[in-house]
Amino acid sequence: MALFITKRLLMALATVLVVAVLAFLLVHAMPGSPGAVSLGAGASQEAIDEVNRRLGWSDPLLVQFFGWLGGAVQGDLGVSLIDGRSVSADLASRLPVTASLAAGATVLSAVLGVLLGVTAAVRGGLADRIVGGICGLAVALPAFWIGIIFVYLFAVQSSVFPATGYVPFEVSPQDWAMSLALPVITLAVGGAAFIARQTRASMLEALQQEHIRTLRATATPTWKILYIHALRYASLPIVAGIALQFIGLFGGSVIAEQLFAMPGLGQAVQNSVSTHDAPSVQGVVVIATVVVVAVNLVLELATKFLDPKLRAS
Amino acid sequence: MIPSVAPAPLQRKNALARFSAHRLFASPAGLAGVIWLAAIVAASLTAPWWLPFKTEDQDFTAVLSGPTAAHWLGTDELGRDLLSRIFAAAAGTLGTSLITVIVGVGLGTVLAMLAAAAGERAEAVISRVTEIMMSLPGTVIILAVIGAVGTNIPLIMAILGVLISAGIYRVMLGQAKSLQSQLYVDAAKVDGVSTLGISLRHVLPGLTNTIVVQSALIFAVGMLIQAGLAFIGFGPPIPQPSWGGMIQGASQHVYDAPWLMVPTGAVLALTVLAANAIGNALGKAPNASASHLPSAAARRQRVKAVSALAVAATAADSDAAPANGHLSVRGLSVGVDGGPRLVTDVSFDVEQGTVLGLVGESGCGKTMTALSLLGLLPSGVAAAGGQILWNGKNLAAATDREMEAIRGREIALISQEPMRALDPMFTVGYQLTSAIRRLRKTGKADARKEALSLLEKVGIVDAERILKTYPHQISGGMAQRVAIALALSGRPRLLVADEPTTALDVTVQAEILSLLRSLVKDTGMSVVMVTHDLGVVADICDNVAVMYAGQVVESGRTANILDSPRHPYTLALLAADPHANSAADMPDRLATISGQVPQPKDWPAGCRFAARCQFAGSACATPVPLLASGSEDGLVRCVKADELAVEGLEWLATEVPTHRVLKIVEKDLA
Ligand code: SF4
Repeated sequence: MALFITKRLLMALATVLVVAVLAFLLVHAMPGSPGAVSLGAGASQEAIDEVNRRLGWSDPLLVQFFGWLGGAVQGDLGVSLIDGRSVSADLASRLPVTASLAAGATVLSAVLGVLLGVTAAVRGGLADRIVGGICGLAVALPAFWIGIIFVYLFAVQSSVFPATGYVPFEVSPQDWAMSLALPVITLAVGGAAFIARQTRASMLEALQQEHIRTLRATATPTWKILYIHALRYASLPIVAGIALQFIGLFGGSVIAEQLFAMPGLGQAVQNSVSTHDAPSVQGVVVIATVVVVAVNLVLELATKFLDPKLRAS
Repeated sequence: MIPSVAPAPLQRKNALARFSAHRLFASPAGLAGVIWLAAIVAASLTAPWWLPFKTEDQDFTAVLSGPTAAHWLGTDELGRDLLSRIFAAAAGTLGTSLITVIVGVGLGTVLAMLAAAAGERAEAVISRVTEIMMSLPGTVIILAVIGAVGTNIPLIMAILGVLISAGIYRVMLGQAKSLQSQLYVDAAKVDGVSTLGISLRHVLPGLTNTIVVQSALIFAVGMLIQAGLAFIGFGPPIPQPSWGGMIQGASQHVYDAPWLMVPTGAVLALTVLAANAIGNALGKAPNASASHLPSAAARRQRVKAVSALAVAATAADSDAAPANGHLSVRGLSVGVDGGPRLVTDVSFDVEQGTVLGLVGESGCGKTMTALSLLGLLPSGVAAAGGQILWNGKNLAAATDREMEAIRGREIALISQEPMRALDPMFTVGYQLTSAIRRLRKTGKADARKEALSLLEKVGIVDAERILKTYPHQISGGMAQRVAIALALSGRPRLLVADEPTTALDVTVQAEILSLLRSLVKDTGMSVVMVTHDLGVVADICDNVAVMYAGQVVESGRTANILDSPRHPYTLALLAADPHANSAADMPDRLATISGQVPQPKDWPAGCRFAARCQFAGSACATPVPLLASGSEDGLVRCVKADELAVEGLEWLATEVPTHRVLKIVEKDLA
């Protein structure tokens, strides 16, 4: 187990490094030098060159990369070309927004998805077909479309939830929850459908296992076979599915943040990409990767822990 | 696993057949999907000729209008016709999504074939790389790419394809590997076909269906992502219309013109639905194996079926007087719901404290008969007639709830593969104690004590340790002992044992049999033992029922049947079984029974063994009744039984020439 964890940690580290290199190269391929971006149109060539020289733009790429990496390891991701603010500080203030969004959506879609999937697998017949139909529709409708419909229904027609904006938890936990409600639900629709399908398939597979017959042969009540034994057996692929889902939702938050005007990482990527703000793009790509890889690692260890065979070895 | 052997040319010819178009068109959703996609593609390609308006035409008399005669789907905030814009945008959306499909599925397939062909080392590397790719926040990376290359949609969709190819590789790898390892591929290798040739000629055609399925699904993903990008402002340059951009525009007017959301959203959703429907229709597993727990819907049906059976059963006279621990099966038939019968008219009796062997080759209905005694037939299969009288109560017409009171407490089960019979997720101790607590209504501490004594009773020495282990940590023989202990936890009066020793080593087999024998002696329970092994029968059974093709063909006391078998099938089984022949009269050659047990749909009206019987004649073409065989209470189902007994014929150790068998059957059918 210890060996397994070490291996996975190394792998995660390698992933982050690869992405860091990739992000660095992409940023260097962006049109316009940092000086031009930072000073905007109308700046003189000398002024632009001066900024570029200060930022070390013409240094060899390797020097630049290791310079950046050295800073990044100490938590310094450089400064924004647009407003000169620290990228690390900016992202640090944005991370909680996206984290609450993605975590909320993952939890909601996991709960809903498992409930629906189990219902479909266990009840069969009409219930199965209804859940199947809903899931088919939910994965076909784009999240942003669903989001707008929710805004229309819950914010325009009846003002149950605020349509846009984000209230930090420290300011008011209640408003925080209310401001998260619509974006979280929006993201969770597709996620829940995905997990419901995964759960249904895993539950059906679990019920095909021979030990289910043994349980019935020893008069185990049906609820216990379903919710203790079969669900336990199905839990491995379900948790793996949830891990996969988190990656998708983290990306999906770009859309939700745009739609609901939330100051999260997704909005930061979108802004910095539009404005060619190289250090911000680089920083946000790396931070997003770190978060996704870390969460994945935890969930993967969780699935391994759920499996007695792997736990023992 | 036996690799399936398929001649290569046939394989190639079938490449298109594997595309399984019929499956696509057989599913209504899949058919609708094809029609919708075809319509969208046709409409968007011909758009310049039929579109009522140009995409930029502005009609200021009808800004943000709903559907009207002039604007069928309404107009946007600049009075532009929605229908025209949706279809003008369609070609671009579909075309660029296709790029993702080609790059993603293409690259994924190539990687999978490469990994399958190039051996373990290459596979490990490719798998690691794809693993890393799959754990990346794809959307964020795509956005960074947009930062570098701008909103060059085809290029971005291609890079998206690269990211997605990791997932495709995952899906394809297993299949590519199994195709690569098939026998005909080995044969091709010997013939000097290059690795590339094998991949292209043998592996690729086998992947066709998966490729089509994945293409359809990725097409849908591509459309959604592309629309999402356009929605956040990274779509084709203004004023070119795109679905995502149009929904973005509509979202600005959700307060004053909510209708604007509908047409574009619906067309996008329908197109995605269509692609998914095609993928699902093609990708549906043709036949999943049956569940061991019927769904609630299936259970409701069962209750109905059972009440019908109960009515039929009361009409028939149940003469057997209720006796303790007496099982009497009368005219039992088991069938697939709405399908063929798997077992017909099976009758036998099991007295308390005796062991009955159900013998026959696989596919003869032994296991189905045995499982019906516990009401544990796989879902979709049910008792379709006759009676299973247990202490006078008809179990064939019992509901699942009624059976629950009997299972474990009165009738218990042990099955063929002990490893699979135990729940891999729970310790032996948990499984055993929870069964004991449930079946004996004892507390936790008592249950534990009882579990220990049960484990000792089945011959496990270090019971304390075994209680703490998971099933995968113990040997097969040990697991079967645990399974027997589990079966004993409710102090059953009847044990149904389905090939309990088949999966075990020979030495362990003998131990388990002697354990069962001593349990019968000590507890006075009776056993129904399903086996194909006449050695097991000779060892432990008091009575035998030989089954062939869903029928009992001979039954009686073990000694009588083994010493003087009457039915040709029993003769054949004996002649073919090395264990049943003692060393002294061991023949030089073992006989074989040519042919196979016929499938239920192929059962003839006459003797079902006729096609394989060395003694078959014209009299065998009519239905054969089960009649007294003359030795004690033995029964036999063969028109020539007496004749054979008188002449003392034996099953010949040579194979029956096939032409002879065929001729007889033909003659009989004529
Ligand atoms: S009835 Fe005829 S075919 Fe059937 S077992 Fe007897 S001899 Fe053979």
